[in-house]
Amino acid sequence: MNEWEIAAVVLGFALLPCLAVCLLAEPRSGLVALQIGGVLTSTILMLLAEGFHRQPFVDLAVVFAPMALVGSLLFARLMERGL
Amino acid sequence: MSWRSVAAVVLLVAGGSLELLAVLGLCVMRDAYDRLHYLGAAGYGALLIGVAVVVRESFSIIGDKSLLVGAILVVSGPVLANTTARSFLVRDLGDWRGESGRRGDGS
Repeated sequence: MNEWEIAAVVLGFALLPCLAVCLLAEPRSGLVALQIGGVLTSTILMLLAEGFHRQPFVDLAVVFAPMALVGSLLFARLMERGL
Repeated sequence: MSWRSVAAVVLLVAGGSLELLAVLGLCVMRDAYDRLHYLGAAGYGALLIGVAVVVRESFSIIGDKSLLVGAILVVSGPVLANTTARSFLVRDLGDWRGESGRRGDGS
């Protein structure tokens, strides 16, 4: 395992607290956890691309980062209306 | 070990630490408004890791796209935090300006 893969594994474990906040905390905190989880997931995909020297992973990150932004904005808008 | 590898590892550790700090803040803070502040820190962590990839790879396809992802996350973090806080205020108070905005309107 190189340093990029180790960092990807560490950040993968950091997704677990985000999941716990999503499931256990109030909905507003869950939305914030979802947003931070999106940033972590994009970063993990970058790290996997560098660690394995596989370009498709970073393509996934390029697509995922704007999609996570749009999804989070949509959730925020829905929550404004009392979701 | 070349200086590029050392610089890449330093940037990688700094970016990873920043993201772990954001997750720690998410878990420790009590209020959703407090937790929102850590969204921007996570974006800067991603940018540091993107820069680490560029330092290691130079401007290859993976390096360029990693830098692009980092830039997207840095720019979108404050936008997302402001929009989400506005939505929370509308949900809680009925108006994003809060109590002071209502007083300003004379209502």
